[in-house]
Amino acid sequence: MIQVNKLTKDFSLTRKQRKELGDEYKDTKTLRAVDDISFECQPGRIFGLLGPNGAGKTTTLRMVATMLKPSQGSISVSGYDSVSNGQKVREQIGFMTGQTALYDRLTPTEMVKYIADLHGMNKNEYQKRKNHLFDILDMHSFADRRIARLSSGMKQKTSIARTIIHDPPVMVFDEPTSGLDVMTSRAIMDLIRSCREEGKTVIFSTHRMGEANQVCDDIAIIYKGKFFYNDTLDAFKSEMTQATFEDEFIYRVGEA
Amino acid sequence: MKFLTIAKKEIVDITRDRRTIIMMIVVPLFLIPVLLGTVFKITKSMAEKASEKQLKVQFFGREHAPDLYRAFAGMDKVIMLDQIPVDSVESYIQEEYLDAAIHVGPAYQKNITDNRQAQIRIQFKGTDSFGSTKDRINGVLEEFENRIVAERMDRLNLKPEVVKAYNIAYEDVASRQEKFGKIAGGWFPYVFIIFGFMGAMYPALDLGAGEKERGTLETILSSPASRLDIVLGKFLVVLLAAFLTAFIALGGMFVGIQRISDIPAELIIVINEVLSPKTIGLIMTLVLPVAAFFSALLLGLSIYAKSFKEAQSIVAPLNIVIIFPAIIGTLPGMELNTVTALIPVLNVSLASKDIIAGVMNPFYMTEVYLSLFGFAGLAIFWCVKWFNRESTIFRN
Repeated sequence: MIQVNKLTKDFSLTRKQRKELGDEYKDTKTLRAVDDISFECQPGRIFGLLGPNGAGKTTTLRMVATMLKPSQGSISVSGYDSVSNGQKVREQIGFMTGQTALYDRLTPTEMVKYIADLHGMNKNEYQKRKNHLFDILDMHSFADRRIARLSSGMKQKTSIARTIIHDPPVMVFDEPTSGLDVMTSRAIMDLIRSCREEGKTVIFSTHRMGEANQVCDDIAIIYKGKFFYNDTLDAFKSEMTQATFEDEFIYRVGEA
Repeated sequence: MKFLTIAKKEIVDITRDRRTIIMMIVVPLFLIPVLLGTVFKITKSMAEKASEKQLKVQFFGREHAPDLYRAFAGMDKVIMLDQIPVDSVESYIQEEYLDAAIHVGPAYQKNITDNRQAQIRIQFKGTDSFGSTKDRINGVLEEFENRIVAERMDRLNLKPEVVKAYNIAYEDVASRQEKFGKIAGGWFPYVFIIFGFMGAMYPALDLGAGEKERGTLETILSSPASRLDIVLGKFLVVLLAAFLTAFIALGGMFVGIQRISDIPAELIIVINEVLSPKTIGLIMTLVLPVAAFFSALLLGLSIYAKSFKEAQSIVAPLNIVIIFPAIIGTLPGMELNTVTALIPVLNVSLASKDIIAGVMNPFYMTEVYLSLFGFAGLAIFWCVKWFNRESTIFRN
C-alpha cells in the first residue's frame, strides 16, 4: 500500500539552469517538479502514473523510493513514512526503470545475490527464491556468464530477477519499457501483471497510453507536476470524449 | 554492515576490469623497474660517452708555451688542431666542431720566469653536449700550475705551507642513511603518492560516475543500504586500490633496484639498509591518510559528474595539484617546519625524507599526522555530505 498526501517537490535552480529554462524562470530560484499531489495505490492493483516527458513522474517515483526527499507532504509505504523510516520503506520496494541497470562485470547470479545481500536475505531464503526465479525466467543456462556478454533479452531477465529477488510487497516501475523492443516490453508487462496476481502494490509510470490501457486498474494523469485526473481506469474510459485512449490523454493534457 | 556487502561487490567488480588491473598492478610493478633501468642506463652511457669523447683543442701561441702545449697534447683522448684561423674559432666552437681554443700570449714565458701571473684565455662552449670540456681543460691547467708553483717555491726556497696555510680534514658525521635520505628520500614518497593517486583514480571514476552512467545508482539507492553505507563501501574500495597500488609501486621499485645491474653496488647496499621494514612501515602510515584524503576527494568529484567522461575531465587537473607539492618536496633545502608539516602531500614527501634519513622531529611528525588525518577526515566528511545532496547524485 502506498499513500501519498499533498506531495510537493521543489528543485533549486542554478543560474545556468534558469537561463536555459527561459524568461518564465528568470526571477524564480526553484522549479516545482511535483505540485501538491495525493493518491493511493492499493495491494493487488496497478496504479498507472501517466504523463508526457518532464511531467514529474520520475520525481514522484524517486520520492516514493526515498531517493529524493519531498519538499512538502508525506508518503507512506506499507505504513512506513518515507522520510523518517526510509530504510524500512526501501525494504518493501522493488524498483525498476527502463535501463537494465546491471553491472557488466558481474554474472546474473552475483548481481542477484548482491541485491539479496543488501536486503539482508538469509542464505536459505535467497537460494530458494533465486532457484524459483531462475526457473520461471529460464535463466540457468546463462546464470554464471558475465552480464556484458548477455543478449538484451537475457539482461532484461536478470534485471527482473534482481528487482524481485527479495519478494517486495511494493513494486515501483519507472517507464520500464522505454527503449525496449516489443519482445522484452512484453516480458515486462507480464511481470507487472504477475505482480498484481501475487497481491503486490504496483505503481507504474509511462507515457505510452496503450500500455496503461493494457494493465492499469487505477490511473492518474500528471502534467507540469499537477494531477489532472486520478480515478479508476474504468471511470476514465466512461468519461472519454475522444475516440481513442491516446487522443483523450492528449486532449486532457492540452486542456491543461 | 551493508557497507561491507557493497565493498565486497565493488572489489569483485573492479578486479575484473582490465584497465584497473593494468593501472594497479602491471604499471607500478613493471613500469617502475623499466623506467629506473632506462634512467640508469642512459645516465651511465652519457657519462661513458663524455669520458670517452675525443676533445678537439686548438692551441694558439704554441711557440710561447711549448711545455704547456705538450701537456695538452699528452692528454688522454685529445686531438690537437692547428688549421683553424683565430677569427673563425668562436663559430667553430659554437657549432661544436671544436671544443676549446687556448690562447697564450708572447709574454707567457717571461711572466712565468719572473714569478708573475701569465695570462691564458680559454674559449669553450658551456652548453656543449657533455659539459665536461671545461673540467678536462682545467684538470691539465691545474696540474701544470701546481708544477710551476712547486718549481717557484723550490727556487725561492720556500715550503708548500707558505702558500697553503690550512691543512683541513673534513669529517662528515652524517650517516650514509642520512645522506641518502636527504638526497633521494623525497623521491620515494613521490612514487607512492603518484601511484597511489593513479591507483585510486580509475576505481573512483568507475564507482561514482560509472554507476550513474550505467543507471545502477538508482538500484542501490532504492536498496535498504543507507547513503552512508554506499559511500563508505565505495570509499573503502577506492582507498584499498590506492594503498595497494602505492604498495605495489614500492615492490616495483625494490625489484627494479635489485635487478638493474647498472646501479653501483655500494648504492644498493645503502638502499637495502635504508629500506628496512620499519622505514617502509612508517612511510606507509603516512601514505594511508594521504591515500584516504584523495580517495574521498576523487570519489566525491566522480559522484558529482554526470558521466565517466565528465569525471575524467574534472579529475585530470587534480593530477597537477598532487604532483606539484610532491615535486616541491624533492627539492634540496625543503625541510619540514611548522608550516610545511601542515600541507598535505608536501608533508608526506618531506616527512618521508626524514624517516629515511632517520632524523624525525617528534613535534613536526605529530603535526604531519594531525594534518593528514584531519584532511582525510574532512575529505571523507565532505564526500558523505556530497553524496547526500540530491543535486549531486541526480545532477543529470
